Amino acid sequence: MTLLRRRPLPPVPFKRFSQANPLLTLGLIFAAWLLLPTALKTFARASFFELTAPVTLAASRVRDLQDFWALRARSRTELIEAGRDLARVNSSFELAVQQNGALRAEVARLEELLRLPPLRDHRLEHARVARRDFSGWWQRIVIRKGRDHGIPAGAPVVFSGGVVGRVAEVHANTAVVELISSPTMRLAGVVEGDTRPISFQGAVNPTLAPPRGVVELMPLDIIASPAVPKRLVTAGFGGVFPPGLTLGTIIRADLASDGLFKSGEVALDSRLGTLTEVSVLVPAAPAAAPVRAAP
Amino acid sequence: MRRVIILLLMQVLLWALLAELNHGLSGWQVHIFGGALFVVYPALHLGRTEGLIVAGWAGLLCDAHSPVTFGTHGLLFAAAHLLLFRARERVPRKDPVSQILVVLFTNLALFLGLNLLRLPLAPAIGGVWARLLPDLLASQLTLVAVTVWYLALQDRLVRLGDTWTERSGQRG
Repeated sequence: MTLLRRRPLPPVPFKRFSQANPLLTLGLIFAAWLLLPTALKTFARASFFELTAPVTLAASRVRDLQDFWALRARSRTELIEAGRDLARVNSSFELAVQQNGALRAEVARLEELLRLPPLRDHRLEHARVARRDFSGWWQRIVIRKGRDHGIPAGAPVVFSGGVVGRVAEVHANTAVVELISSPTMRLAGVVEGDTRPISFQGAVNPTLAPPRGVVELMPLDIIASPAVPKRLVTAGFGGVFPPGLTLGTIIRADLASDGLFKSGEVALDSRLGTLTEVSVLVPAAPAAAPVRAAP
Repeated sequence: MRRVIILLLMQVLLWALLAELNHGLSGWQVHIFGGALFVVYPALHLGRTEGLIVAGWAGLLCDAHSPVTFGTHGLLFAAAHLLLFRARERVPRKDPVSQILVVLFTNLALFLGLNLLRLPLAPAIGGVWARLLPDLLASQLTLVAVTVWYLALQDRLVRLGDTWTERSGQRG
Protein backbone atom coordinates (compact mmCIF):
# COMPACT_ATOMS: atom_id res chain seq x y z
CA MET A 1 0.00 0.00 0.00
CA THR A 2 2.81 2.32 0.92
CA LEU A 3 4.54 1.49 -2.36
CA LEU A 4 1.49 2.55 -4.32
CA ARG A 5 1.23 5.85 -2.52
CA ARG A 6 2.54 8.65 -4.71
CA ARG A 7 5.22 10.93 -3.43
CA PRO A 8 4.01 14.57 -3.25
CA LEU A 9 5.32 16.84 -5.99
CA PRO A 10 7.80 19.55 -4.95
CA PRO A 11 6.10 22.90 -4.54
CA VAL A 12 6.28 25.04 -7.68
CA PRO A 13 7.11 28.70 -6.94
CA PHE A 14 4.28 30.97 -8.00
CA LYS A 15 5.30 33.17 -10.93
CA ARG A 16 3.17 36.04 -11.97
CA PHE A 17 2.40 36.18 -15.67
CA SER A 18 4.21 39.48 -16.10
CA GLN A 19 7.41 37.83 -14.84
CA ALA A 20 7.13 34.85 -17.15
CA ASN A 21 8.47 36.41 -20.27
CA PRO A 22 9.18 40.11 -20.70
CA LEU A 23 8.82 40.06 -24.46
CA LEU A 24 5.49 38.29 -24.20
CA THR A 25 4.40 40.94 -21.72
CA LEU A 26 5.47 43.64 -24.13
CA GLY A 27 3.62 41.91 -26.96
CA LEU A 28 0.48 41.80 -24.87
CA ILE A 29 0.81 45.49 -23.98
CA PHE A 30 1.29 46.29 -27.68
CA ALA A 31 -1.75 44.23 -28.69
CA ALA A 32 -3.85 45.88 -25.97
CA TRP A 33 -2.66 49.30 -27.17
CA LEU A 34 -3.61 48.51 -30.76
CA LEU A 35 -7.08 47.42 -29.68
CA LEU A 36 -7.64 50.53 -27.58
CA PRO A 37 -10.22 52.83 -29.22
CA THR A 38 -8.83 55.92 -30.95
CA ALA A 39 -11.08 58.15 -28.87
CA LEU A 40 -9.39 56.93 -25.70
CA LYS A 41 -5.93 57.52 -27.17
CA THR A 42 -6.91 61.04 -28.26
CA PHE A 43 -8.28 61.72 -24.79
CA ALA A 44 -5.09 60.39 -23.18
CA ARG A 45 -2.89 62.53 -25.46
CA ALA A 46 -4.87 65.67 -24.67
CA SER A 47 -4.81 64.83 -20.95
CA PHE A 48 -1.03 64.38 -20.90
CA PHE A 49 -0.59 67.63 -22.83
CA GLU A 50 -2.84 69.59 -20.48
CA LEU A 51 -1.14 68.01 -17.48
CA THR A 52 2.19 69.47 -18.51
CA ALA A 53 0.84 72.74 -19.95
CA PRO A 54 1.34 74.59 -16.62
CA VAL A 55 5.01 73.56 -16.67
CA THR A 56 5.43 74.95 -20.19
CA LEU A 57 3.60 78.17 -19.31
CA ALA A 58 5.53 78.63 -16.05
CA ALA A 59 8.87 78.20 -17.83
CA SER A 60 7.80 80.74 -20.44
CA ARG A 61 6.77 83.26 -17.76
CA VAL A 62 10.09 82.81 -15.99
CA ARG A 63 11.90 83.56 -19.25
CA ASP A 64 9.81 86.70 -19.68
CA LEU A 65 10.72 87.73 -16.14
CA GLN A 66 14.40 87.18 -16.90
CA ASP A 67 14.08 89.38 -20.00
CA PHE A 68 12.29 92.01 -17.95
CA TRP A 69 15.07 92.19 -15.36
CA ALA A 70 17.69 92.15 -18.09
CA LEU A 71 15.98 95.13 -19.74
CA ARG A 72 15.80 96.96 -16.42
CA ALA A 73 19.56 96.81 -16.27
CA ARG A 74 19.80 98.96 -19.42
CA SER A 75 20.92 102.56 -19.03
CA ARG A 76 18.56 105.52 -19.41
CA THR A 77 20.43 106.69 -22.49
CA GLU A 78 19.72 103.40 -24.21
CA LEU A 79 16.03 103.62 -23.27
CA ILE A 80 15.79 107.17 -24.61
CA GLU A 81 17.40 106.09 -27.88
CA ALA A 82 15.05 103.11 -28.13
CA GLY A 83 12.05 105.39 -27.47
CA ARG A 84 13.18 107.79 -30.19
CA ASP A 85 13.58 104.94 -32.70
CA LEU A 86 10.17 103.59 -31.73
CA ALA A 87 8.56 106.99 -32.25
CA ARG A 88 9.95 107.08 -35.81
CA VAL A 89 8.64 103.59 -36.54
CA ASN A 90 5.26 104.54 -35.06
CA SER A 91 4.93 107.60 -37.26
CA SER A 92 5.61 105.55 -40.41
CA PHE A 93 3.10 102.95 -39.23
CA GLU A 94 0.47 105.62 -38.64
CA LEU A 95 0.89 106.69 -42.23
CA ALA A 96 0.60 103.05 -43.36
CA VAL A 97 -2.62 102.68 -41.32
CA GLN A 98 -4.13 105.68 -43.10
CA GLN A 99 -3.15 104.25 -46.50
CA ASN A 100 -4.54 100.90 -45.43
CA GLY A 101 -7.89 102.47 -44.57
CA ALA A 102 -8.07 104.17 -47.97
CA LEU A 103 -7.20 100.91 -49.75
CA ARG A 104 -9.82 98.98 -47.79
CA ALA A 105 -12.45 101.51 -48.76
CA GLU A 106 -11.36 101.17 -52.38
CA VAL A 107 -11.59 97.36 -52.19
CA ALA A 108 -15.06 97.56 -50.66
CA ARG A 109 -16.17 99.99 -53.39
CA LEU A 110 -14.85 97.69 -56.14
CA GLU A 111 -16.47 94.64 -54.54
CA GLU A 112 -19.78 96.47 -54.49
CA LEU A 113 -19.33 97.69 -58.05
CA LEU A 114 -18.29 94.32 -59.49
CA ARG A 115 -20.60 92.33 -57.19
CA LEU A 116 -17.67 90.25 -55.89
CA PRO A 117 -17.91 88.19 -52.71
CA PRO A 118 -16.08 90.03 -49.89
CA LEU A 119 -12.53 88.96 -49.06
CA ARG A 120 -12.20 86.89 -45.93
CA ASP A 121 -11.42 89.14 -43.00
CA HIS A 122 -9.18 88.23 -40.07
CA ARG A 123 -8.53 89.56 -36.63
CA LEU A 124 -4.99 89.44 -35.23
CA GLU A 125 -4.49 87.55 -31.98
CA HIS A 126 -0.98 88.17 -30.70
CA ALA A 127 0.61 85.41 -28.65
CA ARG A 128 3.92 84.77 -26.91
CA VAL A 129 5.89 81.69 -27.84
CA ALA A 130 6.08 79.37 -24.85
CA ARG A 131 8.24 76.65 -26.35
CA ARG A 132 10.07 75.87 -29.58
CA ASP A 133 10.62 72.26 -30.62
CA PHE A 134 12.76 71.84 -33.74
CA SER A 135 13.69 68.24 -34.46
CA GLY A 136 14.73 66.73 -37.76
CA TRP A 137 11.20 65.50 -38.32
CA TRP A 138 9.09 68.39 -37.14
CA GLN A 139 9.36 72.09 -36.39
CA ARG A 140 6.73 73.26 -33.94
CA ILE A 141 6.14 75.99 -31.43
CA VAL A 142 3.71 76.18 -28.52
CA ILE A 143 2.01 79.56 -28.07
CA ARG A 144 0.43 80.92 -24.91
CA LYS A 145 -3.07 81.25 -26.28
CA GLY A 146 -5.60 78.56 -27.07
CA ARG A 147 -9.25 77.67 -27.19
CA ASP A 148 -10.13 80.11 -24.42
CA HIS A 149 -8.81 82.95 -26.60
CA GLY A 150 -10.77 81.88 -29.67
CA ILE A 151 -7.86 80.30 -31.55
CA PRO A 152 -9.22 77.77 -34.08
CA ALA A 153 -7.35 74.77 -35.45
CA GLY A 154 -5.89 75.39 -38.90
CA ALA A 155 -5.62 79.18 -38.47
CA PRO A 156 -2.62 80.83 -40.18
CA VAL A 157 0.12 82.26 -37.98
CA VAL A 158 2.31 85.17 -39.09
CA PHE A 159 5.07 87.44 -37.80
CA SER A 160 6.86 90.50 -39.11
CA GLY A 161 8.91 88.35 -41.51
CA GLY A 162 5.88 86.66 -43.12
CA VAL A 163 4.21 83.31 -42.57
CA VAL A 164 5.14 81.30 -39.47
CA GLY A 165 2.87 78.32 -40.02
CA ARG A 166 -0.52 76.91 -39.19
CA VAL A 167 -2.21 76.03 -35.88
CA ALA A 168 -2.01 72.25 -35.65
CA GLU A 169 -3.49 71.57 -32.20
CA VAL A 170 -5.57 73.72 -29.91
CA HIS A 171 -5.71 73.23 -26.15
CA ALA A 172 -7.36 75.24 -23.40
CA ASN A 173 -4.64 77.88 -22.90
CA THR A 174 -2.05 76.82 -25.43
CA ALA A 175 -1.89 75.95 -29.10
CA VAL A 176 0.68 74.09 -31.16
CA VAL A 177 1.80 75.74 -34.39
CA GLU A 178 3.43 73.74 -37.17
CA LEU A 179 6.06 75.89 -38.86
CA ILE A 180 6.45 76.28 -42.62
CA SER A 181 9.96 74.85 -42.24
CA SER A 182 8.47 71.56 -41.03
CA PRO A 183 8.85 68.76 -43.62
CA THR A 184 5.15 67.88 -43.29
CA MET A 185 3.94 71.41 -44.07
CA ARG A 186 2.77 72.01 -47.64
CA LEU A 187 0.95 75.00 -49.14
CA ALA A 188 0.45 76.87 -52.39
CA GLY A 189 2.58 79.89 -53.22
CA VAL A 190 3.28 82.19 -56.14
CA VAL A 191 6.35 84.10 -57.20
CA GLU A 192 5.77 87.77 -56.49
CA GLY A 193 4.25 89.39 -59.58
CA ASP A 194 3.19 86.04 -61.05
CA THR A 195 -0.15 84.29 -60.79
CA ARG A 196 0.80 80.67 -61.48
CA PRO A 197 0.70 78.50 -58.34
CA ILE A 198 3.76 76.66 -57.04
CA SER A 199 3.82 73.89 -54.46
CA PHE A 200 5.83 74.85 -51.38
CA GLN A 201 6.92 72.32 -48.77
CA GLY A 202 9.09 72.54 -45.67
CA ALA A 203 12.30 70.51 -45.71
CA VAL A 204 14.65 68.71 -43.38
CA ASN A 205 16.60 71.57 -41.87
CA PRO A 206 20.35 71.06 -41.53
CA THR A 207 22.13 71.79 -38.27
CA LEU A 208 23.68 75.24 -37.76
CA ALA A 209 22.00 76.59 -40.90
CA PRO A 210 18.98 78.82 -41.49
CA PRO A 211 15.63 77.11 -42.08
CA ARG A 212 14.72 76.19 -45.63
CA GLY A 213 11.99 74.74 -47.78
CA VAL A 214 11.54 73.35 -51.26
CA VAL A 215 9.33 74.29 -54.20
CA GLU A 216 7.95 72.00 -56.86
CA LEU A 217 5.78 72.39 -59.96
CA MET A 218 7.46 75.69 -60.79
CA PRO A 219 6.98 76.98 -64.36
CA LEU A 220 10.06 76.64 -66.58
CA ASP A 221 10.37 80.34 -67.36
CA ILE A 222 10.95 81.31 -63.75
CA ILE A 223 14.65 81.71 -63.15
CA ALA A 224 16.04 81.94 -59.64
CA SER A 225 19.55 81.76 -58.24
CA PRO A 226 21.41 83.16 -55.23
CA ALA A 227 22.32 86.15 -57.42
CA VAL A 228 18.75 86.59 -58.70
CA PRO A 229 16.46 85.39 -55.89
CA LYS A 230 12.69 85.43 -56.27
CA ARG A 231 10.31 86.29 -53.45
CA LEU A 232 7.74 83.58 -52.80
CA VAL A 233 4.39 84.63 -51.34
CA THR A 234 1.18 82.84 -50.42
CA ALA A 235 -1.19 82.24 -53.29
CA GLY A 236 -4.35 82.62 -51.22
CA PHE A 237 -5.87 79.43 -52.63
CA GLY A 238 -7.91 77.34 -50.25
CA GLY A 239 -8.91 80.34 -48.18
CA VAL A 240 -6.61 79.57 -45.24
CA PHE A 241 -3.70 81.93 -45.87
CA PRO A 242 -4.47 85.40 -47.23
CA PRO A 243 -2.65 86.10 -50.50
CA GLY A 244 0.62 88.02 -50.61
CA LEU A 245 2.22 86.95 -47.32
CA THR A 246 5.96 86.27 -47.54
CA LEU A 247 6.99 82.62 -47.41
CA GLY A 248 10.65 82.99 -48.28
CA THR A 249 13.05 83.54 -51.14
CA ILE A 250 13.65 81.06 -53.94
CA ILE A 251 17.42 80.85 -54.24
CA ARG A 252 17.75 77.90 -56.60
CA ALA A 253 15.61 76.48 -59.38
CA ASP A 254 16.58 73.41 -61.42
CA LEU A 255 14.78 71.34 -63.99
CA ALA A 256 12.82 68.57 -62.30
CA SER A 257 13.23 64.92 -63.29
CA ASP A 258 9.97 64.99 -65.29
CA GLY A 259 11.27 67.85 -67.47
CA LEU A 260 7.94 69.64 -67.33
CA PHE A 261 8.51 71.78 -64.26
CA LYS A 262 11.32 73.12 -62.12
CA SER A 263 11.99 72.38 -58.48
CA GLY A 264 14.06 74.52 -56.19
CA GLU A 265 15.18 75.60 -52.76
CA VAL A 266 13.63 78.32 -50.63
CA ALA A 267 15.55 80.24 -47.98
CA LEU A 268 13.20 80.99 -45.09
CA ASP A 269 13.52 83.81 -42.58
CA SER A 270 16.31 82.96 -40.15
CA ARG A 271 14.24 84.48 -37.31
CA LEU A 272 11.90 81.46 -37.48
CA GLY A 273 14.30 79.64 -35.19
CA THR A 274 14.19 82.28 -32.48
CA LEU A 275 10.57 83.42 -32.52
CA THR A 276 9.27 84.94 -29.31
CA GLU A 277 5.98 86.48 -30.44
CA VAL A 278 3.60 85.64 -33.28
CA SER A 279 0.14 86.67 -34.47
CA VAL A 280 -2.65 84.25 -35.22
CA LEU A 281 -5.01 85.28 -38.02
CA VAL A 282 -8.36 84.34 -36.55
CA PRO A 283 -11.07 84.37 -39.22
CA ALA A 284 -13.63 87.04 -38.36
CA ALA A 285 -17.21 85.91 -37.93
CA PRO A 286 -18.95 86.27 -41.31
CA ALA A 287 -21.18 89.32 -41.34
CA ALA A 288 -24.71 88.97 -42.62
CA ALA A 289 -24.28 89.36 -46.36
CA PRO A 290 -26.61 91.91 -47.94
CA VAL A 291 -29.15 90.41 -50.31
CA ARG A 292 -28.22 91.41 -53.83
CA ALA A 293 -30.50 91.44 -56.77
CA ALA A 294 -29.56 89.13 -59.62
CA PRO A 295 -27.84 91.02 -62.48
CA MET B 1 4.08 53.44 -4.24
CA ARG B 2 5.88 56.51 -2.90
CA ARG B 3 8.93 55.60 -5.02
CA VAL B 4 6.79 55.48 -8.13
CA ILE B 5 5.23 58.88 -7.41
CA ILE B 6 8.64 60.44 -6.78
CA LEU B 7 9.98 59.04 -10.04
CA LEU B 8 6.89 60.12 -11.99
CA LEU B 9 7.48 63.69 -10.80
CA MET B 10 11.16 63.37 -11.70
CA GLN B 11 10.16 62.33 -15.21
CA VAL B 12 8.10 65.51 -15.55
CA LEU B 13 11.09 67.52 -14.33
CA LEU B 14 13.40 65.83 -16.83
CA TRP B 15 10.92 66.38 -19.64
CA ALA B 16 10.68 70.08 -18.72
CA LEU B 17 14.47 70.45 -18.61
CA LEU B 18 14.90 68.78 -21.99
CA ALA B 19 12.13 70.95 -23.44
CA GLU B 20 13.89 74.08 -22.16
CA LEU B 21 17.20 72.90 -23.58
CA ASN B 22 15.64 72.24 -26.98
CA HIS B 23 13.90 75.62 -26.84
CA GLY B 24 17.25 77.30 -26.34
CA LEU B 25 18.96 75.28 -29.08
CA SER B 26 16.23 75.78 -31.68
CA GLY B 27 18.07 78.71 -33.28
CA TRP B 28 20.92 76.35 -34.17
CA GLN B 29 18.61 73.60 -35.42
CA VAL B 30 19.84 71.13 -32.82
CA HIS B 31 17.53 68.75 -30.98
CA ILE B 32 18.54 66.83 -27.89
CA PHE B 33 16.96 63.42 -27.36
CA GLY B 34 17.34 62.04 -23.84
CA GLY B 35 14.99 59.06 -23.87
CA ALA B 36 17.40 56.78 -22.00
CA LEU B 37 17.38 59.01 -18.92
CA PHE B 38 13.67 58.28 -18.52
CA VAL B 39 14.25 54.54 -18.60
CA VAL B 40 17.55 53.60 -16.98
CA TYR B 41 17.00 54.35 -13.29
CA PRO B 42 13.60 52.63 -13.05
CA ALA B 43 14.96 49.60 -14.94
CA LEU B 44 18.08 49.27 -12.76
CA HIS B 45 16.59 50.01 -9.35
CA LEU B 46 12.82 49.41 -9.32
CA GLY B 47 10.65 46.34 -9.59
CA ARG B 48 9.50 45.25 -13.02
CA THR B 49 5.93 46.55 -12.78
CA GLU B 50 6.86 49.77 -10.97
CA GLY B 51 9.57 50.49 -13.52
CA LEU B 52 7.21 49.70 -16.36
CA ILE B 53 4.70 52.23 -15.02
CA VAL B 54 7.37 54.93 -14.71
CA ALA B 55 8.88 54.26 -18.16
CA GLY B 56 5.45 54.05 -19.81
CA TRP B 57 4.37 57.29 -18.16
CA ALA B 58 7.47 59.08 -19.44
CA GLY B 59 6.90 57.69 -22.91
CA LEU B 60 3.31 58.91 -23.02
CA LEU B 61 4.49 62.30 -21.76
CA CYS B 62 6.87 62.52 -24.72
CA ASP B 63 4.16 61.25 -27.08
CA ALA B 64 1.74 63.98 -26.04
CA HIS B 65 4.23 66.63 -27.18
CA SER B 66 5.36 65.01 -30.43
CA PRO B 67 3.47 64.60 -33.70
CA VAL B 68 3.87 60.83 -33.64
CA THR B 69 1.34 58.07 -33.15
CA PHE B 70 0.34 58.23 -29.52
CA GLY B 71 2.08 55.37 -27.74
CA THR B 72 5.22 55.20 -29.90
CA HIS B 73 7.57 56.49 -27.20
CA GLY B 74 5.58 54.65 -24.55
CA LEU B 75 6.04 51.25 -26.18
CA LEU B 76 9.71 51.87 -27.02
CA PHE B 77 10.45 52.98 -23.47
CA ALA B 78 8.59 49.95 -22.12
CA ALA B 79 10.60 47.65 -24.39
CA ALA B 80 13.86 49.29 -23.30
CA HIS B 81 12.82 48.94 -19.67
CA LEU B 82 12.06 45.23 -20.00
CA LEU B 83 15.32 44.49 -21.81
CA LEU B 84 17.38 46.47 -19.30
CA PHE B 85 15.54 44.83 -16.43
CA ARG B 86 16.57 41.41 -17.72
CA ALA B 87 20.19 42.46 -17.99
CA ARG B 88 20.47 44.47 -14.79
CA GLU B 89 22.09 41.72 -12.71
CA ARG B 90 25.08 41.85 -15.07
CA VAL B 91 25.45 45.65 -14.87
CA PRO B 92 27.40 47.31 -12.03
CA ARG B 93 24.67 49.69 -11.04
CA LYS B 94 26.65 51.98 -8.74
CA ASP B 95 29.61 52.56 -11.03
CA PRO B 96 29.32 55.95 -12.80
CA VAL B 97 31.14 54.79 -15.93
CA SER B 98 28.81 51.80 -16.28
CA GLN B 99 25.82 54.05 -15.73
CA ILE B 100 26.96 56.38 -18.50
CA LEU B 101 27.64 53.49 -20.87
CA VAL B 102 24.23 51.94 -20.21
CA VAL B 103 22.53 55.29 -20.79
CA LEU B 104 24.49 55.92 -23.99
CA PHE B 105 23.72 52.51 -25.50
CA THR B 106 20.06 52.70 -24.47
CA ASN B 107 19.76 56.18 -25.91
CA LEU B 108 21.36 55.10 -29.16
CA ALA B 109 18.94 52.19 -29.45
CA LEU B 110 15.91 54.37 -28.67
CA PHE B 111 17.07 57.11 -31.04
CA LEU B 112 17.56 54.65 -33.89
CA GLY B 113 14.28 52.90 -33.10
CA LEU B 114 12.28 56.12 -33.18
CA ASN B 115 13.95 57.40 -36.33
CA LEU B 116 13.66 54.13 -38.20
CA LEU B 117 9.93 54.26 -37.49
CA ARG B 118 9.81 57.76 -39.00
CA LEU B 119 12.10 57.03 -41.94
CA PRO B 120 9.39 55.87 -44.39
CA LEU B 121 7.92 59.38 -44.12
CA ALA B 122 11.22 61.12 -44.98
CA PRO B 123 11.19 63.40 -48.03
CA ALA B 124 14.94 62.86 -48.69
CA ILE B 125 16.88 60.22 -46.80
CA GLY B 126 20.29 61.85 -47.34
CA GLY B 127 19.07 65.10 -45.86
CA VAL B 128 17.53 63.33 -42.91
CA TRP B 129 20.73 61.60 -41.83
CA ALA B 130 22.72 64.81 -42.29
CA ARG B 131 20.44 66.29 -39.66
CA LEU B 132 20.03 63.26 -37.42
CA LEU B 133 23.73 62.49 -36.94
CA PRO B 134 24.60 65.90 -35.38
CA ASP B 135 21.47 65.59 -33.24
CA LEU B 136 22.58 62.16 -32.05
CA LEU B 137 26.09 63.40 -31.31
CA ALA B 138 24.78 66.39 -29.36
CA SER B 139 22.35 64.15 -27.45
CA GLN B 140 25.05 61.66 -26.47
CA LEU B 141 27.39 64.42 -25.33
CA THR B 142 24.62 65.96 -23.25
CA LEU B 143 23.89 62.59 -21.67
CA VAL B 144 27.55 62.07 -20.79
CA ALA B 145 27.40 65.39 -18.96
CA VAL B 146 24.16 64.89 -17.03
CA THR B 147 23.69 61.14 -16.52
CA VAL B 148 25.55 60.76 -13.23
CA TRP B 149 23.94 63.89 -11.76
CA TYR B 150 20.41 62.90 -12.80
CA LEU B 151 20.69 59.28 -11.64
CA ALA B 152 22.17 60.45 -8.31
CA LEU B 153 19.34 62.95 -7.92
CA GLN B 154 16.74 60.24 -8.51
CA ASP B 155 18.55 57.92 -6.09
CA ARG B 156 18.74 60.61 -3.44
CA LEU B 157 15.05 61.48 -3.70
CA VAL B 158 13.99 57.83 -3.64
CA ARG B 159 16.10 57.27 -0.50
CA LEU B 160 14.58 60.35 1.13
CA GLY B 161 11.15 58.97 0.32
CA ASP B 162 12.09 55.59 1.82
CA THR B 163 13.42 57.23 4.99
CA TRP B 164 10.25 59.24 5.35
CA THR B 165 8.15 56.09 4.92
CA GLU B 166 10.17 54.28 7.59
CA ARG B 167 9.82 57.17 10.04
CA SER B 168 6.08 57.41 9.42
CA GLY B 169 5.87 53.64 10.05
CA GLN B 170 7.79 53.92 13.32
CA ARG B 171 5.55 56.76 14.52
CA GLY B 172 2.46 54.79 13.57
